[in-house]
Amino acid sequence: MGGSSAFVVSAKKRRMQQIMKMTGESLLFLVASFVAVVVLFIFYFVARDAIPFFQLRGFAEFFTSTNWYPADEPGEFGALAIIYGSGMVTLGSALIAVPLGIAAAICLSDVLPFNIRQYAKPVIEMLAAIPSVAYGFFALVIFAPLLQNFGGTILMWTWWVIAGPFLVLAVVVLGDMVTAGEPDEAKRDRKRLLMNGFFSVLALGLLYWVGNTLNAIQIMSGTNALNVSIILSFMALPTIVSVSEDALQAVGRELREGSYALGATRAETLVQTVLPAASSGILAAVILGIMRALGETMVVWMASGNSSQIPDPWFNYLDSIRTLTATIAGDMGEADQVTGSARYHVLFAMGLLLLIFSFVSNFISERVVVRQRKILSGQ
Amino acid sequence: MKMFRKLLLAAAIFGFTAGPAHAGDAIVMDGSTTVGPIAKSFAAYFTKNYGVQVTVSESGSGNGAKSLINGACDIANMSRGMKDAEVAAAKSKGVDPVSHVVALDGIAVVLHPSNFVSALTVDQIRDIYTGKVTNWNKVGGPSAKIVVIQRESNSGTQDSFRSLVVGKKNPITKRAETQASNGAVKSRVASTPAAIGFIGLGFVDNSVKAISVNGVKPSIDTVKDGSYPVARPLFMVTNGQPTGNVKKLIELNRTADGKQMISELGYVNKY
Amino acid sequence: MNIGTRKLLDRSFTAVGFTSIMLMALALLAVLVPIITGGIKALYFQGTVEHRTLLFNEFQRGDEAKLAVDAERSEAARKPVYEYLAAFDTELESLPFERKRALESEYHHVRDTLHELLGPLPGDTPPLLLRFQYGVTRWEKAEEELHNLLYMTKWDYSDPTKMATQYFAPRVDEFTGTSLEGLFGYVEEHLEEMLLPQPEFYWGFITDRSLDAHIFGGVWAEIQGTFYLAIGAMLFAFPLGVIAAIYFTEYAKDNYLTSMLRSANSTLAGVPSIVFGLFGLAFFINTMKVSESKSVLAGSLTLAIMILPTIIRAAEEAILSVPKTYREASLGLGATKWRTIMTVILPAALPGIITGGIISLGRAAGETAPIIFTAAVSVGATIGIADVFTEPTPALSWNIYNLASEHEAANEIRHVQYGMVMALISIVLLLNISAILLRARISQKLKG
Repeated sequence: MGGSSAFVVSAKKRRMQQIMKMTGESLLFLVASFVAVVVLFIFYFVARDAIPFFQLRGFAEFFTSTNWYPADEPGEFGALAIIYGSGMVTLGSALIAVPLGIAAAICLSDVLPFNIRQYAKPVIEMLAAIPSVAYGFFALVIFAPLLQNFGGTILMWTWWVIAGPFLVLAVVVLGDMVTAGEPDEAKRDRKRLLMNGFFSVLALGLLYWVGNTLNAIQIMSGTNALNVSIILSFMALPTIVSVSEDALQAVGRELREGSYALGATRAETLVQTVLPAASSGILAAVILGIMRALGETMVVWMASGNSSQIPDPWFNYLDSIRTLTATIAGDMGEADQVTGSARYHVLFAMGLLLLIFSFVSNFISERVVVRQRKILSGQ
Repeated sequence: MKMFRKLLLAAAIFGFTAGPAHAGDAIVMDGSTTVGPIAKSFAAYFTKNYGVQVTVSESGSGNGAKSLINGACDIANMSRGMKDAEVAAAKSKGVDPVSHVVALDGIAVVLHPSNFVSALTVDQIRDIYTGKVTNWNKVGGPSAKIVVIQRESNSGTQDSFRSLVVGKKNPITKRAETQASNGAVKSRVASTPAAIGFIGLGFVDNSVKAISVNGVKPSIDTVKDGSYPVARPLFMVTNGQPTGNVKKLIELNRTADGKQMISELGYVNKY
Repeated sequence: MNIGTRKLLDRSFTAVGFTSIMLMALALLAVLVPIITGGIKALYFQGTVEHRTLLFNEFQRGDEAKLAVDAERSEAARKPVYEYLAAFDTELESLPFERKRALESEYHHVRDTLHELLGPLPGDTPPLLLRFQYGVTRWEKAEEELHNLLYMTKWDYSDPTKMATQYFAPRVDEFTGTSLEGLFGYVEEHLEEMLLPQPEFYWGFITDRSLDAHIFGGVWAEIQGTFYLAIGAMLFAFPLGVIAAIYFTEYAKDNYLTSMLRSANSTLAGVPSIVFGLFGLAFFINTMKVSESKSVLAGSLTLAIMILPTIIRAAEEAILSVPKTYREASLGLGATKWRTIMTVILPAALPGIITGGIISLGRAAGETAPIIFTAAVSVGATIGIADVFTEPTPALSWNIYNLASEHEAANEIRHVQYGMVMALISIVLLLNISAILLRARISQKLKG
């Protein structure tokens, strides 16, 4: 009797436990799927307020016109210049942050010894942690006046400091490459010296000429696309560095050692073997970094000058521009949602555009990472 | 003066009877950055003398109107009149906007002090803002590309400037930089030698040069007598006729203290 | 290729990598150093007797007896100035009309500058605005004002084709031969006695409310608002994030649904912050109506959604880094899965989870874009804890923007802006540094 009653209790208990487990797990699942619900909600609610704009005004004006006069009656809502401005600062920051970031990632993963790496990591983390409004404050209050007052000089020195070492390298390498075909050693050395001299003159001329041209530039307004691009690159760097470092580390030791065994130097190993293997991971890093720059609000709002124009000429980074994010932040004040005006909805249309862009690039970067993982694991 | 004494009496009675029990009924103001300094000073004065919390947001006239219509604020500060669309929206929500002129303000056109130009006509300013004139040497100044500075579209100052100077039909040049407030325009102009901007008269100081328009220098006197062409009234808008504390706050501009605050801030008294 | 060249290329490659890391460190310094040096000036500066009087009158702080002595000393030094002014007032009345008009506007400048320096002069109507009731509170400003008093800023317009250059002319020249002539020399000599500057550590910058729209006083309302918003966001996001992480690491099967959920998580992490603001406005305020308009609650909810993915990821990593042996030991002792999670895995992973939480807290404190439409106001008093459901609040991040680019006196209150930026950065960096230290300890502990 005792045995059978114990059996009954335990069956009941087991059923209870089973139910508890089931409900518990589904509860957990519900909470976990909350994130997905939120994403759907964001899409739904932004789209819900964005679609009326396209119903009111159609697509053509928004994407093809540069006339942004939302306050007029009737208003004009051409966002082309604003989309262009967003693209421009994103590209500008990528041009700065991508080479720097990849170089830094390589250095962190392959060059620096562990004890130095320990100190470099917090630098990157702190760079990522500084709030965007602090960067915006820096750009507006400290950097913009500097650019405006000493713009030409700053540009000249930047050119000299960056281009100088690279040109020296180029001179040496070019001299070597041109003379590589010469079989006689003494003759080759003489010829190389001559070639080096020739290229040095060219390089010095280039250095001087570009430097002088830059020095003569008068920056009329320090709040411009260049200022914003530089500051945004600070903000995109940490993402690019940490994600590409992960990608580089995912490339195994075997590949590297194989390359060394073939007599390659470290640079050659990295450029010819490791980087191609990690390329898709680095691409993902670049995409994520770009998204960070494109989605940033405060820096561009405070320091881009906010003029809705396509600069003249189109690549003039010293002109003021206006971005999607800054327009949303700045124009929401007037957007009377009570009247359901195009003015209110156009800002959501911009938000939707940003959202779609971030979704697509996120999707691509995820695919890319998955693919790399598959390739590296040899499938 | 009688008004003032009445108000003092009311304040005294209020102070004795209601006391801190009513201190929780905060007054919320929202709207124009131009009216902002007056609103903030009135708010501080009101809190100090009547113990009523007053919060002030400066998000632009348009936003002020919106907040009033949505019932999010008690007083909308506006540097332009209510637009027809706003009035219609308000009526549809059962809000009855009543505008009160709180002070008068001139819009000063400001340049960097290093600019030789010290007077422009309305036509010249219009040409600069519509992009027809892009260099200072076309209006008798030095040879330098003009940096045009305007305000964000939610600004009442921008609205008034467009209707008073540029003309509603003429679009402002796309090259124009956009700044969020009077203070921002002032500091941009003060730090940019080739800039032109426009700010409320109360914001003008030594760092910028306010120029004559059509030969008239902007000042409290020329705004008051109407000879300065770029002037407008500033409003506080309430839902229905104001009562109680809101009324007291709005009518502060008729008291001696209120008047003094308005002129200390550089605005022009209506009363 | 020449072996020497190859070696050179190899070295330069290393140098490029090294330089980019150095550049990042330099960028960090370039941003932090000016902000911190500027920020320290908001707290520690040469305060004048005007500042001490202000503190005493508005916050009842300071040594009354000592202040009275100082006030007396400074009053004694100021007396000759007032006498100069009084004498010149009478002289001005007796001057011929033309001369009087010529001098009057310059004299106005002198009076205005003296008002800036010393506060209301005898004969002025007592000002109502706090900003006009006191003279300069900071000595470095006093030196600027002194320069304005002694010199007129003039512009050389002689070449109308160029921008004019600035030059200074002594103001005293305008008043030669009048009774005011001696004033300038006297003020230059005795300004220190009139203002009695002494180094001051104004800790009230952190704990005081602001006076007259941040012209004086501190930033407590903003700091408090920042804490409300960040902690509010954590209250929502932290439990949700940890539970979701438990699901992902312990229960989720490796199927399509799970990978969808993970994708959703990384999508959410990539959404631009301003879009969160739009969503908060459209959903929490306009649709759910959690509050009439902007409120701390709406802002916290918006921020919570923004930091959720970070928390989930950090918690996942922390749970995954708990050694397998812990789990196996617990399961081997007959504990259920749930029991194992609650009593073994979570405690072991807790420091890691908290690290992620701290970093997210910093992120929530620093973000601006999501709270523009949902929670932030430019000027407002501190709000009580009970008001968080209905009232908006000032917050450091938003008010930095507001003071730097919207405030009417943005140029004059740079020190307040710097102080605010420093306060925000200190909060965020302190949180981050403590997270880094915590993590270092964990990794040491896990190593054994």
